[in-house]
Amino acid sequence: MIEKEDPVISEEEAAQYDRQIRLWGLDAQKRLRGSRVLLAGLGGLGAEVAKNLILAGVKGLTLLDHEQVSEESCRAQFLVPVTAQGQNRAKASLERAQNLNPMVKVHADPDRIEDKPDDFFLQFDAVCLTGCSRDLMIRVDQLCSKHNIKVFCGDVYGYYGYMFCNLGQAHNYVEEKPKVVKPSGESNDGPKAKKAKVDPNETTMVKKTASFCTLKEALAVDWTSEKAKAGLKRTPVDYFLLQVLLKFRTDKGRDPDPQSFPEDSQLLRQIRDDVLESLSLNSDLLNDDFISYCFSEMSPVCAVVGGVLGQEVVKRLTVFSR
Amino acid sequence: MVQLVGSLRKELADSISTCKVLVVGAGGIGCELLKNLVLTGFKNIEVIDLDTIDVSNLNRQFLFQKKHVGKSKAQVAKESALQFCPSANITAYHDSIMNPEYNVEFFRKFMLVMNALDNRAARNHVNRMCLAADIPLIESGTAGYLGQVTVIKKGMTECYECQPKPAQKTFPGCTIRNTPSEPIHCIVWAKYLFNQLFGEEDADQEVSPDTADPEAAWNPEETAARATASDKDGDIKRVSTKEWARSTGYDSVKLFNKLFKDDIMYLLTMDKLWKKRKAPTPLDWHQLENSECPKEGTPASGLKDQQVLDVWGYCQLFQHSVETLRSQLQEKGEGAELVWDKDDPPAMDFVTAAANLRMHIFSMNMKSRFDVKSMAGNIIPAIATTNAVIAGLIVLEGLKILSGELESCRTIFLNKCPNLRKKLLVPCVLDPPSANCYVCASKPEVTVKLNVHKTMVLTLQDKIVKERFGMVAPDVQIEDGKGTILISSEEGETEGNNNKFLSDFGIRNGSRLQADDFLQDYTLLINVLHDLERDVEFEVVGEAPDKAPPPQTNQEEVNSITNGNKDSAQPSTSSKGQHRSGHDLTSHSCYISAKRLSSVSEVELSSR
Repeated sequence: MIEKEDPVISEEEAAQYDRQIRLWGLDAQKRLRGSRVLLAGLGGLGAEVAKNLILAGVKGLTLLDHEQVSEESCRAQFLVPVTAQGQNRAKASLERAQNLNPMVKVHADPDRIEDKPDDFFLQFDAVCLTGCSRDLMIRVDQLCSKHNIKVFCGDVYGYYGYMFCNLGQAHNYVEEKPKVVKPSGESNDGPKAKKAKVDPNETTMVKKTASFCTLKEALAVDWTSEKAKAGLKRTPVDYFLLQVLLKFRTDKGRDPDPQSFPEDSQLLRQIRDDVLESLSLNSDLLNDDFISYCFSEMSPVCAVVGGVLGQEVVKRLTVFSR
Repeated sequence: MVQLVGSLRKELADSISTCKVLVVGAGGIGCELLKNLVLTGFKNIEVIDLDTIDVSNLNRQFLFQKKHVGKSKAQVAKESALQFCPSANITAYHDSIMNPEYNVEFFRKFMLVMNALDNRAARNHVNRMCLAADIPLIESGTAGYLGQVTVIKKGMTECYECQPKPAQKTFPGCTIRNTPSEPIHCIVWAKYLFNQLFGEEDADQEVSPDTADPEAAWNPEETAARATASDKDGDIKRVSTKEWARSTGYDSVKLFNKLFKDDIMYLLTMDKLWKKRKAPTPLDWHQLENSECPKEGTPASGLKDQQVLDVWGYCQLFQHSVETLRSQLQEKGEGAELVWDKDDPPAMDFVTAAANLRMHIFSMNMKSRFDVKSMAGNIIPAIATTNAVIAGLIVLEGLKILSGELESCRTIFLNKCPNLRKKLLVPCVLDPPSANCYVCASKPEVTVKLNVHKTMVLTLQDKIVKERFGMVAPDVQIEDGKGTILISSEEGETEGNNNKFLSDFGIRNGSRLQADDFLQDYTLLINVLHDLERDVEFEVVGEAPDKAPPPQTNQEEVNSITNGNKDSAQPSTSSKGQHRSGHDLTSHSCYISAKRLSSVSEVELSSR
């Protein structure tokens, strides 16, 4: 859905984006310039992703969030003014988000993502979901990948975080690889032939195809199979932590809250036991330590996950796609 | 029962809200870091930066907007951060951290210092101040997609200077002046030329042909040819380039013909240079002017700066920029000097034109202004996300320090792509201090090879003690039993010694000098080795050359990449990946990707 007419980069944009154009090139910047992205959830992680995408220079970013600004949200993210308590979180974040880069069209939508019809999502090139329920993410993931819309998910729980992306069954992309310049008489950059070296300015474009699994598949691994059991040792234990936290979110309609630490800790312990049992896994795979470290969204963790996630979105939006 | 304040245990939250921290630098990393600190709950933050905001900062230094261009980074960063946390206590200094005001006492106020710098000199300085004050320092750097964070604690870890860092790349004078073979040589030449004509003249930045070139093996029978070339401009050697230019009224055509015709013809007479190299071809202004054919302007798609002009185009750019710079100089008045700045359009135009004309003369493909600016300005490409990740990691390391968990601190490398073990972030255990470190060892000592009859005291001060050994305001005395003072940090006291040679003070092979920097609380003993054969001014006798196992090479590469744009003379690239396999220990924050690449096929397309 990249626009047919080649977006032009103005001199003003060139000056502002100079340092990134020097990294990923003008063509990539142009493709960003034509991309529309949906971002759901304006918590700590959402704000980081919003900042990263707006600074990168996408064409448009829609901030979708039905939640209200709480005292906690003012501490958690930097787009919401301290005076905005009670307001819709997306709308409260709009002004500062827009000021990050006036050249991006930032739009705030206060609706519940669950209430959005299918075709709402189809207007975007990429969809990024934070703070969403497991079922919603699976639904959107399925819908979008069918229509070649890139899907990204991520969350931060205290010190923990994850990101996921699905670029479809047959994602074609092109990767730049440095070209090894072999000596063959005079080279263009000097009167004297030099020995073979990697010239950072000479690259080869390598065409690649990748196939991604769906979120549903990723979360529904059967750990009783031989193959899965073999892979268990290499699987970070955080994968199971994620299952626990997503279940908490589904059951309680919210994430663990420091204000309810004793009750929520208890519930987390219970859900951990249930999840591991249902997966036929040993209960000591995930011990109790995680419990006091998965509350609220820690700012530096949002920064790390948001940075990786944001960069992944930028990277995938700028690859050559047909 | 565990008590939480947000995500943090209460004890940690309490110590965060009371402790004082210092952020050195309010740029790419600094803005992200300030935001993270404030949101994490740090209440007492001091931030220092000497720079002002430029439009090219706005793609990542998100605390700044267009309306802030020209203002102090530290000041605006503070104001923006206060917007989302009005109760934070932030002090901003629009100043250099190397100012003596920021002494050991100043540093001792803080529980933690975090660097967000872009140059080695400042990093060395802060390293020493933190050692002197015994305050933990978190050091970091980014370049393009790459980044790293590390922790420095006196007595426990390596200091910033424990591992020798690759020296700034410099090119031999004769390569610049006589036999350039790469675009960068021509660009460096053009920058020297700018200084010789419009800026501070520097004896190390000569642009005229170098007759003392050892490769030239000067042939006395060619004197006639040399004389012809010399006469045209009144003896290259005796009159300074600036004086000559002034005498012509900075006539751009005369300048052009001297630099790109006469001097090149002079080089051609040094025929030994061209036996195995392609000889340069001189340019003639009037010839070029007359043979220029007006082209139908094909509207260029893409950026104007990325276009490569033809030779006549650069001739015109040369003329135009010389005229503009001449006016700038005149406006400033008698004895004025311009300082080259990549963001000053005529200065950048001048270097682009002069470098390209020289490239063309030496049969190299010419480069766009965009590319020349990268090389001339040592620009390191930068994006918001890399800085965001690194700044997040800085705070996470900081929390470990404040929790008294220094043993769990790590050096963390951020890769461009996941490595063979599928890790994007690679933590490595911190190394203990190096016993031979010339900064943090208990009695630091170095050995320097130089020629005592040819090395001036000023060179010792500026090139060796300050530049190479990072002292800011050194005092140097000779260990001759009399404690003879060679260099005093007090202005004016030892200026008389500047142009004397070391041997004039009885310094000879085996002599020892004691260099002190009072501000840095640093004493270095320098052993002098007299060496007659000297291609370079001096050489520091380092460790054995075979001490460079592959993983360390990678770290050095990363260190040199992420040291910052103010240091490298080389064109900056940032697409080097790392393959350093570290321990699989991670801090509490983890990242999982459920992405699975099940089939990847590669087909080579045509090369660019």
